[in-house]
Amino acid sequence: MTSAAPSPHDLELLSITKNFDSFTAVDSINLKVGRGEFVAIMGPSGCGKTTLLRILAGLETASSGQLYIRGKDVSDVPVNLRSTRLVWQNYALFPHLDVAGNIAFGLTLKAHDKAIVAGKVKAMADLVGLSDLMGRKISQLSGGQKQRVALARALVTEPDILLLDEPLSALDAHLRIRMQGELRRIQKQLGMAFIYVTHNQVEAFSMADRVVVMNKGHIEQIDAPEDMYARPKTEFVARFVGTNNLFPGRIQEIGHGKAIVHCAHGQVQVSTDDPPPVGTGVFVVVQADKLKPAPTGVAGENRLEATVRGREYAGSHNIYLLDLVDGTEVKMTLPQVLPLEINQPTTIWFSPAHAALIRGAA
Amino acid sequence: MTTVETSATKPMRTPNDSPLKIWFLAPLAIWLTVFFLLPLIFLLWIGFWRVENFQSVPDFSLGNYADIFASFFSKSRYGLALIQSLWVAITTAFFATILSYMVALSIAFAVPARWQRLALLIAIAPFWSSYVLRLYSWQTILSRNGVINSVLKQFGLADYRIDLIYTQIATRIGLIHYLAPILIVILYVSILAIDRVLIEAARELGCTRWQAFTRVILPLSRFGLMTAASFAIIVSLGDALSGNLLGGGAGTSIIGKLPTYASMIMSDYSSSTNLPRTSALATILIVVMVLALAAGFVAADRARRRTS
Ligand SMILES: Nc1ncnc2c1ncn2[C@@H]1O[C@H](COP(=O)(O)OP(=O)(O)OP(=O)(O)O)[C@@H](O)[C@H]1O
Ligand SMILES: [Mg+2]
Repeated sequence: MTSAAPSPHDLELLSITKNFDSFTAVDSINLKVGRGEFVAIMGPSGCGKTTLLRILAGLETASSGQLYIRGKDVSDVPVNLRSTRLVWQNYALFPHLDVAGNIAFGLTLKAHDKAIVAGKVKAMADLVGLSDLMGRKISQLSGGQKQRVALARALVTEPDILLLDEPLSALDAHLRIRMQGELRRIQKQLGMAFIYVTHNQVEAFSMADRVVVMNKGHIEQIDAPEDMYARPKTEFVARFVGTNNLFPGRIQEIGHGKAIVHCAHGQVQVSTDDPPPVGTGVFVVVQADKLKPAPTGVAGENRLEATVRGREYAGSHNIYLLDLVDGTEVKMTLPQVLPLEINQPTTIWFSPAHAALIRGAA
Repeated sequence: MTTVETSATKPMRTPNDSPLKIWFLAPLAIWLTVFFLLPLIFLLWIGFWRVENFQSVPDFSLGNYADIFASFFSKSRYGLALIQSLWVAITTAFFATILSYMVALSIAFAVPARWQRLALLIAIAPFWSSYVLRLYSWQTILSRNGVINSVLKQFGLADYRIDLIYTQIATRIGLIHYLAPILIVILYVSILAIDRVLIEAARELGCTRWQAFTRVILPLSRFGLMTAASFAIIVSLGDALSGNLLGGGAGTSIIGKLPTYASMIMSDYSSSTNLPRTSALATILIVVMVLALAAGFVAADRARRRTS
């Protein structure tokens, strides 16, 4: 490194790949994480999230690619000297130490002042709500309590980058929301970058500055939560994020910021600034809450004949399951209850402005 | 205050409980009774018998013990032999355990997973030959004109000839060679039970390799080490063969030439017809073993409390 200016990035991954024998668990990942940024990683089970975190932590060596932490190539930095800290998916707590001993572990490895360590451990235990359990053995803790010990043990060492592997998955909803708030506050306060793996979309979308969606070892999309939600870029993301309806079709006509797509159940209009050429296979993506019952007695675009198949009541809203004429299943969420019986035909509608196009359907 | 009628309430039984479950204790109970309790009770009991006209007569007399303790540290020197045996046993257990732990560690951490079983099998290979045979081969190695001294002589180092045979060191060598294979297995299994993720977690939290060993592997091996060391102490205390064949029956020691306590029991048994007396001697050894083990466990527990 010749430049004296500090890197604007806490973390830089350049086509990081990891092969286990012939199986590629992580497939040329490129990712830049800004100073103190909160990046959430989502993806189905087995898509390589934990493997990626292990590579960042130095527990696994990438088969190829480069990894920079704060501008420094860390390929040769052994695990114990990395400025990252991992919160383990399955806790990995030390059974021979009590709660306090586990939290203090990282602080006691170098010459240390016992009083300072005790103070830090106590403050951290207060933060995660473990003060009453300091003398407990690990085997006597609940899953959620273990998870908080794991979190505290990593956090108390104040690393540059915290790697969290589903850190709140075992907590009840109430505690989870409180811990989310605390984590976000700590992260802001310490200016620590967070790489946060979670299966919980709400968690990812409400906490993160940017969300990464992974699939089969590669990155499908990196975006701010709102953009990821509103404009999924691939079929996978559209199906994975939010509650979207996907209609496969082919571009039939383009013009005036609009594209007409021929789908199995009929023609659909979509507003777009950058329409793919005529004949391209696409998916029309419509979020479930953008579908509405069609106003009666008015002609218009994007009216879909459908049959009601079921209703789920989710407290604040209702989720309707409908079949289109060609059998395509669609989901529609509405705040109100419709006067509709099961298996009754109806017409639903969406605005062209609320639909998006994704290339790729056959 | 309200009183609950406890007499009427039966303890709840879960549907998975079976009254027959108690019978699963039978194998353990039979094993303990036949091979442990009965012989032990018999031994303890005979210790209180007395001898009349060269015949053992059931009795409850403390005569044997009075006899033994009367000359415990003087003429018979049972006491000194016991102390010496304890000293030999403890030091043997110490070295045997450390040596075996190092071997077990290197099998568990340095040998690739699929070769570990083979490595273990080879490491415990000495166990395949008989104990007495092994002691005799050590005799030929350690003796005045044995292998070691012949080699030294070959190199013109005859002046540096070592006199190991018929010393306590030779006794210990024989015992360690006997014990190590068993201890290696005990320790290897206990190391294997340590979750590797914990070692990774320790390294990830900043431990050097050495710290990962002292902070995680060693504390988590504690139970295995205690088991191995206790086993080694008990076996060493009760063993007469190594003391007889390598220690010369009266290994040179700081106290003087003394046989091991176990060897004294053996000669007492074969030279006199006083079985009750021999039983009393053996009982004393058992009591010492129990006390030594108890002391060991208390010490280990204190050490753990202090470190954590
Ligand atoms: N040591 C290994 N050897 C071989 N394959 C492995 C190894 N570790 C992980 N894998 C494989 O790599 C893939 C990714 O695993 P990883 O643990 O990263 O998934 P994940 O995204 O964290 O899943 P989850 O959400 O279930 O935790 C999986 O298919 C897994 O089977
Ligand atoms: Mg995982």
